[in-house]
Amino acid sequence: MIKDIILPDLGEGIEGAEVSEVAVAPGDTITSEDTILVLESDKASMEIPAEVNGTVTEIAVAAGDEVKTGQILIKIEISESTDAIVEKSVLSEETEQIATSPEKEKPPEVNLYPAIEYTSSTENVFASPGVRRLARELGINLQIIKGSGPKRRVTKDDLNGYIKLQMAMSAGSIPAPQPVIDFSQWGDVEVQKLTKIKRITGERLQRAWQLIPHVTQFDAADITDLDALRKEVKKAGAKKGIKVTFLPFLMKALSIVLKEMPEFNSSLDHNNENLVLKNYYHLGIAVDTPRGLTVPVVRDVDQKSVFELSDELMDLSSRARDKKLKPNELKGGTFTISSLGGIGGTGFSPIVNPPEVAIMGVSRSAWKKVYDKVSREFVAKFIMPFSLSYDHRVIDGAAAAAFTSRFADVLSDLDHFKD
Amino acid sequence: MGELRQTELVVIGAGPGGYAAAFRAADLGKQVLLIDRDPELGGVCLNRGCIPSKALLHISKVMDEVTKLEKMGVKYGKPEIDIDQVRDHKNKIVSQLNSGIVQMAKARKVETIQGLASFVSNTELKVQTDTNDVTITFGQCIIAGGSTSAMIPGVPTDHPSVITSRTALDLEDIPEKLLVVGGGAIGLELGQVYAAFGTKVSVVEYLPNLLPGTDSDLVKPLQRKLKKQCEAIQLSSKVTKVEANKDGTLTVTIKNEKGSSTEVFNKVLVSVGRKPNTGLLNIEATDVKVNDRGFIQVDVYQRTSEKNIFAIGDIVGDPMLAHKATHEGKVAAEVASGHPAAFDVRAIPSVVYTDPEVAWAGLTETNAKENEIPYEKGEFPWSASGKAIAMGANQGKTKILFDPETKQVLGVGIVGPGAGDMISEGMLAIEMGADAEDVGLTVHPHPTLSETVGLAAEAFTGTITDLYLQKK
Repeated sequence: MIKDIILPDLGEGIEGAEVSEVAVAPGDTITSEDTILVLESDKASMEIPAEVNGTVTEIAVAAGDEVKTGQILIKIEISESTDAIVEKSVLSEETEQIATSPEKEKPPEVNLYPAIEYTSSTENVFASPGVRRLARELGINLQIIKGSGPKRRVTKDDLNGYIKLQMAMSAGSIPAPQPVIDFSQWGDVEVQKLTKIKRITGERLQRAWQLIPHVTQFDAADITDLDALRKEVKKAGAKKGIKVTFLPFLMKALSIVLKEMPEFNSSLDHNNENLVLKNYYHLGIAVDTPRGLTVPVVRDVDQKSVFELSDELMDLSSRARDKKLKPNELKGGTFTISSLGGIGGTGFSPIVNPPEVAIMGVSRSAWKKVYDKVSREFVAKFIMPFSLSYDHRVIDGAAAAAFTSRFADVLSDLDHFKD
Repeated sequence: MGELRQTELVVIGAGPGGYAAAFRAADLGKQVLLIDRDPELGGVCLNRGCIPSKALLHISKVMDEVTKLEKMGVKYGKPEIDIDQVRDHKNKIVSQLNSGIVQMAKARKVETIQGLASFVSNTELKVQTDTNDVTITFGQCIIAGGSTSAMIPGVPTDHPSVITSRTALDLEDIPEKLLVVGGGAIGLELGQVYAAFGTKVSVVEYLPNLLPGTDSDLVKPLQRKLKKQCEAIQLSSKVTKVEANKDGTLTVTIKNEKGSSTEVFNKVLVSVGRKPNTGLLNIEATDVKVNDRGFIQVDVYQRTSEKNIFAIGDIVGDPMLAHKATHEGKVAAEVASGHPAAFDVRAIPSVVYTDPEVAWAGLTETNAKENEIPYEKGEFPWSASGKAIAMGANQGKTKILFDPETKQVLGVGIVGPGAGDMISEGMLAIEMGADAEDVGLTVHPHPTLSETVGLAAEAFTGTITDLYLQKK
């Protein structure tokens, strides 16, 4: 049986298109999914599948031809009976019949069935006829929607909300499916499963990256004096068995600046209509563990001494590595610090940890030659590069620059650390 | 040589379902041909059913109201009936509505062809008009062929004194004695019309109840009224023979438990139900499936088993009601035009336009008991309604059936004047999923008959103050 493959309705009001490529030749054996033609309309380029299995006997169009819906494209000797064939032959019979009718130019429209098969599943749903109709038009099963109306009636708003959620999910956090790539074709590979922490963190980071308009401000602080102070404190701490790093000093300094500039210690509310300023200073500390990144929270940093903070940090990071943090210790942060100072690097732009609005990234301090205006000489200074990523919906660039300058000032003024 | 035509959509039958389908499809951009075998559009409903019968029932109801006035101190004389003028009045109403449909068809550029349509194939049909044969090739078809009065064996169908609802509404004369065979809605409505004009009316019903299938408490007030208006009402009885006499009268043999009896009537109205007009369409030429009762089988999209042919209204099954056909017609037109519509209704209301009217929507008690569907009930007797008493309508009743769990309205039944108009509130409640509180807390105007709906709900929730009910 020879089957004419006609140009199906392309939808969206497209009546015709130009053939940009003919992908088959007479004698070719093709399967139903093979592309026979590529078309180019003013809106898009489309591949036309064969829809039947068989052998190409004739090609009725050539590249550059303008083709219209219903026009015969190629003829195929069918090798196998499929449902698709039955469907198509019905379609083409109608087309033929239309073609022989002399009076009308436009053929009677082929019956369009609703895409969604009706189910009686609206029966126990509490929704008005109008909402039931809208749901049917949109192909939404009302059974799965939680009604927000009186007595849990499903309202039109509920449908709209559901659609918005679906759109956000498909356009946003769920990335488009990636092509499957066999990497072993280029060399030896090893597959390692992502840890649960890595996967969860990955999702959260992606969401934060997509939702928050990020800007990163870079700066550097002179911590020459602070370094000297820290060495003293470290010795004192060693006697008590407390390991003192730079971090507690940075935390103290941050709590001071956050108090002065409260919008850095805030969150947007769920409607993005109000800013919630927090009168507590709980700092999240990004801790690298063998299983991935965790961010335990140190509470009330402003009320704690450097020793207390050091003690707490030791405890948190060791328990973080041993998976012994309590869920509560990972919540309630108002600002996060991510320090790579112990590792290296001259600067990086961290991702804000929502619902917080800013995060500080600390890089490796180094001795630099700095020109001293007073003595008119180059002097050696211990410089700590750091960065501040912030949510630009909440924080302006000028405020961010002021924040980093002030932070650098606080670090260079040792009065702040005497307690 | 016949004429050849081609159209996107052809609609067979211009009744309330057919013209709704044709007009809706035209509004959605289809090229539509509307075929009807009658010269007038509107089908049985407009020309030989709902509308003319309502014109006559209005007259008979007012006549009955006038006689009630005698007890209230207002007396008119004996009514004088000019049957020709009555007939003219009725015809005028029908033709007024006819011309309305014609105008609407023109405005929408829906072309009409008068003639009997019969299928040639799944995409072609032939219409025999007065002058020629027209062959129509169509992309899609909506069958709205309607129904015809059913007859019973033993009754000569061609005798002029044997009438159906159609000929009864022609109102040829006022017979002295009329036998109504079949105590359903149509028979009782027409029986009351003729009784008001002075005919001695008898009713024979094969089943033990009038309005078979209807809740007996709703039928009771009507039955009481009919007993006064009619010569005789014979239930569980069967007409076995109708013989024509030389003087034009008919001798009817009626059989029941007690035995057989014969009686002479001037006319016999056969109103034993309606049968679909499927047989007129040469449907065998298509792949459309028809069930053993002659109804065309359709799905919720009104699609038949042949994908470009739709069917709606009486020809697809019970209930054979104009408002069902209209809604189905619109669904068919929308689906045919590519819209995802479906006939997705929770209920279809039924109204018997007798005096008193009987109306119900959704679940009935009869149905609930047959199918063991649990329900609870709120009732309000009109004997406690000021408005009903003032109107002399204290025999009426309003009841609502509720879901025992959710208290949502499952069904509403009303008997009394205006029941048909009031049932709409029940329909809205059912479609909106309203519960007893929703109906009871809705402020109904006082004094009205419609407030009985709210009061029936309040009787159920126990918040009613117009009745004293024992605590549940």
